[in-house]
Amino acid sequence: MGDLLGFVLSGLVSGALYALLATGLVLSYSASGLFNFAHGATAYLCALAFHELHSGFGRPAVPTALLLVCVVAPALGWGLDRLMFRKLARVGETAQIVATIGLLVALPAAGLWVVELLERAGAPVQPAENQFGLPGIGPSPAVSWQPLDGVGIDSDQLITWLATALVAAGLWVLMRHTRLGLLLRAAVDNRSLTELRGVSADRLSSIAWMLSSGLAGLAGVLATPLLGLSAHDYTLFLFVSATAAVLGRFLSVPLAFAGGLGLGVLQNLVAGYASFAEDITGFRTAVPFLILFGGLVVLARRRRAAGTAAADPPPVDYLAGKGRLRRWGAWVVAGALLATAFYTVTTPFWSGILAQGLAIGLVFMSFTVVTGLGAMVSLAQATFVTGAALVAGLLMSHGWPFVAAAAVGTAAAALLGAVVALPALRLGGRSLALATLALAFLADQVLFQMGWLRNGDTGWEIPRPVLGPLDLGDDRALGVALVVLSGAVVWLLTRLHGSRWGRAVLAVRSAPEAAAASGVSVVRTKLLVFTVSAGLAGFGGVLYASYNTRITATDFTAMTGLVWLAVVVAAGVRRPQFAVVAGLGFAVVPHLLATYVTESAHLPVILFGLAGLALANDPDGYCAALPSRRAARAAAVRGRGDTAPMPEPEPMPMTEPEPVPEPAPGPGPGPGPGPVPVVGPAPVPVVVPVPGQASAPTPTPGSADGPAPGPAPEPVPAGATAVRREPREPVRGPGAEPPALALRGVRAGYGGAAVVHGVDLEVRGGEVLVLLGPNGAGKSTLCRVAAGLLPPSAGHVRVAGLDANGDDTVRRARRGVRLAPEGRGIFAGLSIEENLTLQLPASEDRDAVYARFPALARRRSVAAGSLSGGEQQILALAPLLQRPPTVLVADEPSLGLAPRVVDEVFRLLTELRASGTALLLVEEKAAEVLGVADTVAYLSQGGIAWSGPRSEVDTDRLAEAYLGTGVRR
Amino acid sequence: MLRPIRTLAAASAALLLATACNSASTGGTSEKPGSPGTSARGVTADAIKVGGIVSMTTASGYSKKDTDLGAKARYDRANAEGGVNGRRIDYLGAEDDGQDPARNLAAARKLVQQDKVFAVSPMSSVTFAGADFLNGQKVPTVGWGTLPSFCGPRYIYGFNGCLVPTPGGTLNQTWPEGLATVLGGSSGKSVALIAGDNDAGKFGIRTFTQGFKAAGFTLAYAKASVPATSLPSDWSAYTKEILRSGPGGSAPDVVVSVMQTPYNIGLFTALKRSGYKGVLTDPTDYDPGLLAKDATRQALDGVHVLLQFQPFEADSPAMTRFKADIRKAAGGKDVPLNMHMMTGYMSADLFLSIAAKAGKELTVESFQKAANGFSDTGTLVGDRAEPKGQKESFGCGALVRLKNGRYEVAVPFRCYPAIPFG
Repeated sequence: MGDLLGFVLSGLVSGALYALLATGLVLSYSASGLFNFAHGATAYLCALAFHELHSGFGRPAVPTALLLVCVVAPALGWGLDRLMFRKLARVGETAQIVATIGLLVALPAAGLWVVELLERAGAPVQPAENQFGLPGIGPSPAVSWQPLDGVGIDSDQLITWLATALVAAGLWVLMRHTRLGLLLRAAVDNRSLTELRGVSADRLSSIAWMLSSGLAGLAGVLATPLLGLSAHDYTLFLFVSATAAVLGRFLSVPLAFAGGLGLGVLQNLVAGYASFAEDITGFRTAVPFLILFGGLVVLARRRRAAGTAAADPPPVDYLAGKGRLRRWGAWVVAGALLATAFYTVTTPFWSGILAQGLAIGLVFMSFTVVTGLGAMVSLAQATFVTGAALVAGLLMSHGWPFVAAAAVGTAAAALLGAVVALPALRLGGRSLALATLALAFLADQVLFQMGWLRNGDTGWEIPRPVLGPLDLGDDRALGVALVVLSGAVVWLLTRLHGSRWGRAVLAVRSAPEAAAASGVSVVRTKLLVFTVSAGLAGFGGVLYASYNTRITATDFTAMTGLVWLAVVVAAGVRRPQFAVVAGLGFAVVPHLLATYVTESAHLPVILFGLAGLALANDPDGYCAALPSRRAARAAAVRGRGDTAPMPEPEPMPMTEPEPVPEPAPGPGPGPGPGPVPVVGPAPVPVVVPVPGQASAPTPTPGSADGPAPGPAPEPVPAGATAVRREPREPVRGPGAEPPALALRGVRAGYGGAAVVHGVDLEVRGGEVLVLLGPNGAGKSTLCRVAAGLLPPSAGHVRVAGLDANGDDTVRRARRGVRLAPEGRGIFAGLSIEENLTLQLPASEDRDAVYARFPALARRRSVAAGSLSGGEQQILALAPLLQRPPTVLVADEPSLGLAPRVVDEVFRLLTELRASGTALLLVEEKAAEVLGVADTVAYLSQGGIAWSGPRSEVDTDRLAEAYLGTGVRR
Repeated sequence: MLRPIRTLAAASAALLLATACNSASTGGTSEKPGSPGTSARGVTADAIKVGGIVSMTTASGYSKKDTDLGAKARYDRANAEGGVNGRRIDYLGAEDDGQDPARNLAAARKLVQQDKVFAVSPMSSVTFAGADFLNGQKVPTVGWGTLPSFCGPRYIYGFNGCLVPTPGGTLNQTWPEGLATVLGGSSGKSVALIAGDNDAGKFGIRTFTQGFKAAGFTLAYAKASVPATSLPSDWSAYTKEILRSGPGGSAPDVVVSVMQTPYNIGLFTALKRSGYKGVLTDPTDYDPGLLAKDATRQALDGVHVLLQFQPFEADSPAMTRFKADIRKAAGGKDVPLNMHMMTGYMSADLFLSIAAKAGKELTVESFQKAANGFSDTGTLVGDRAEPKGQKESFGCGALVRLKNGRYEVAVPFRCYPAIPFG
């Protein structure tokens, strides 16, 4: 019993550190959807700073710690958020993962570099290496007590517990009892709704990052006596604490906190009682990663139906439509030049380095398959390399020839790949990345510790092959052979990309359900992606090992795989040849830097890490950065002056060899084989075939130049205006109040696909404008434009007579424009009381709401998500009644509600009108809403088909509007 | 097949064919290290070019960078004394391999192919991926023999021998015999061995189990059970088991830790807090830098540390000279001494001694010939002999004990006969 208590108590020490790190992870994740691999590096940086300031500069411990935790670390978090994370939140998940991996290596290097510089400047810094038994905040050496027999604690442990308990209490107060905490939780619950309420989610995200970094800093300072100054250990510690973040599903701070504590205890208990596994070398070492892996597989929730792939949209192919010469010419020339260089220019040293780069390029191409094509992040590629090379080496030590051994090694890696793929069937995104990382560590710590496989520290010799007259023992011959091999693999992969199977992978990546429905086996496809990728990594690994002429189990560790991923993705994973570039760069650049730029060992690492930053701007990697920017500029030039060309064919085929018809090439319709829906001659506004319009292709000039609603000559096309027909328009004098919300000639759409073409609308205070239209007419798009969620591509938005075009969502909301979005505009995870508090900070306002709606009062502590649909809609509208906004844009407020509730909702809306709010109500079904309308507008195919006072509405007109025949008067 | 690809393939194939014939003879790994007698690579009429490979910057916070200083100190003295057979040592300084196998190999390649060194000394790292290359290129290499690559390859030497016992080889008995001296005999004394939970830990347990048994100890506990990559924050699970492992559930007489410093600090602190009074010992913590901090000084107080060279506390002429050389190389400053300096110093020393024996005509062949049958006695690492040192440790060592903030010699430096390992 004393044992057990002791294990639990002291387990709580590492548990407390896990809890701090996990909490920070959850905070930063929920702020910007980013799993911060560099969180441990932040902790390390603070530990290093603490050590230098305290031991080096002799500053007192506690103030230094406070300064670091409360000022320096938050400032670092703030800076990183502004520079990097905020931008990263908008790019794909792979780029996010990679950019923080870059930071993981760059931050410690930056810290050490600063120490190096300070030392050179003569500051009294302490060396950062070989430091053990560092003092923490408390006395050093730690004072220890033995309160119970067999249970000992010391001052460092006590301080860790106390600080963690204080932080837990502080966080609880902050999150549960302050407005800031409420806003943070609201932003986690529904980020865009927070913005619609006029609260800047970006600023909240900065605050979350500051908190998160502060927590990492605290963990770092507290862990100094335990972990010393090993950046590696801090990062490992972080990976383990990721388990706790998974427990909290990356969303719940309390769960993550408790998970962290539990994790520490569990780990300690296993250490204490794991004697059953003594025969398995590495089992105890691997315990944290077993827990991480198990936790991920058991706990990870399927995030969306697709659930599996990293949600990276396949990028636009900037080379689409270009000929083979344009696609391949430069690469072929480069390959030939490189091959020639081996025998002409390069010195033996550079020949070796280039050959090494090519060998690792082969390994890197495996990322093109799993990450580039399959959109899954695998951090276990180094495992495949080690596995394949060890197996090949083992066989060669038994006299197998190189080719046969390499083949078996490749097969072994492929098999390992299939095993690693198993979690991929269930997990996606960062959970998958973490699961593969856990498996990679498990392989390092258990599988590759098996004596028969690893052969101790000696490893296996892998002599270079001799193929007939060709002795690859010569670096130059090896280099040329690798150029040829790389070319062959690039060609194979490109073919694969464009093959049936490649399309199946793209289908599975984009929409697994749809893929399954069209007869593509999701399971088989994913297993194959991993198997092929692992096999390729293994094959490359055997060759890389043969370049080294030996493989030992520690040559390529899980951490190596992490760095590799960053290197490859920084170059780009879209085309396999980028991986070759990455490999060459990885081998060559460090030597170039060392020779020509700097002697410091830290600077290249910092530069490498910062390359990840560039991903925030060019998520496709540096190889494609220039051409794709050029292509984007060209597209912008083409598209200027008009609505964007055509919707991109979806899913965007990334077929390399087959030229895809250019989305909107200059003249002439693309006669391509692709299933391009409607390729219209480019500079035409909207040519959607309209049912009922026999003479469909009416390329009407439209009101392309925006707000010029002058008296139009008769045939008013589908871009007519609501304003013109407004009966009160002519009588308005010059001193009259401007409309509360006015849209003039608004055009808008998504990613080049225009949805709304030149709409004019206006609504005044105390008026209800009802916008009717069938599904797909552009109603919600118009709502988004009105609320500032979507900037119009042309036209103007005015609020109370003032130009509001440049507004973001937050500023628009602050002008008094509220959007009640489709569905329910509530924070489902917050209680009724908290939902109200967000909008009604004053308690008397809330009391008034409760007095009016006793049903809400009775359940004020209930999570809003558990209310019925009608109650939720009432909860969304109730605070508006109390504090009426200038403009309310309500997108389908009656959607999915029972008729009785619909009546109630419309009654509330009428009430809102009475208090002076301008209402823009969008509905698909006309019946009930017409009862509250002052003015009605029909939206059809992105334009106003008819508008006028309610009295002029008749059923024929309605029907016409719905049928899309257009009402021309 | 796409036309460009076809072109590429054809062009490359042609290139391969055209070059296959001349490829094997020049350049690359088959480069000839100079013809004998006239111009060995890196050797001129008045200088010998020597490089080094050392782990300096690492993510783990462990650095061996003072190895470079040690080597420099020794080469400086050699040059001050007129060099080796009239040739000055042109020491290029050590390349940093960052504990990364790829960088280790790249460093070896750079030194040989770009800098064209005659020899690499010191080479001290946790990885030696460049070993095959250096041996294949016939580059005499001297370093810290903690890796299997120091045991066997013809051109690679450990400064105090090969420290990795191989089956059929021998086992160095310095540690068990030294502890027997401390305890006044080994019979009836129980030993607990603890190591990290990985293959290396298992191997350590296996070798030392044999060694301690051969020296007459009883093995009470021998487990590779400590998580090898993440430092436990709590040691009670291990200390409890150890403290009950002795005869009749008592504590063993000696606890032997085969782990790195941070682990030792944790383990020894926990053992002492549990009231353990026996002998604590480990092979890594002889680092006067550890005395600078209260926490480490207290944690390691009373611990017996094994070292395989003369302790800095020893009062021999060789040690006095070592200290003076280091001081001079450090620019006249009194730097705290550590074992990495000794590694660098004695690696350089072994290279210099063999090169001196090779005579005026220094080539790889003459160096190898001189090494074969080389022996001397009474150095800082004891009695040296090659090629014996390519198969086993020189077998010398001492135990020091940390007491009141100072290391003192508990068992003086001497050489012990090895036992067969199997």
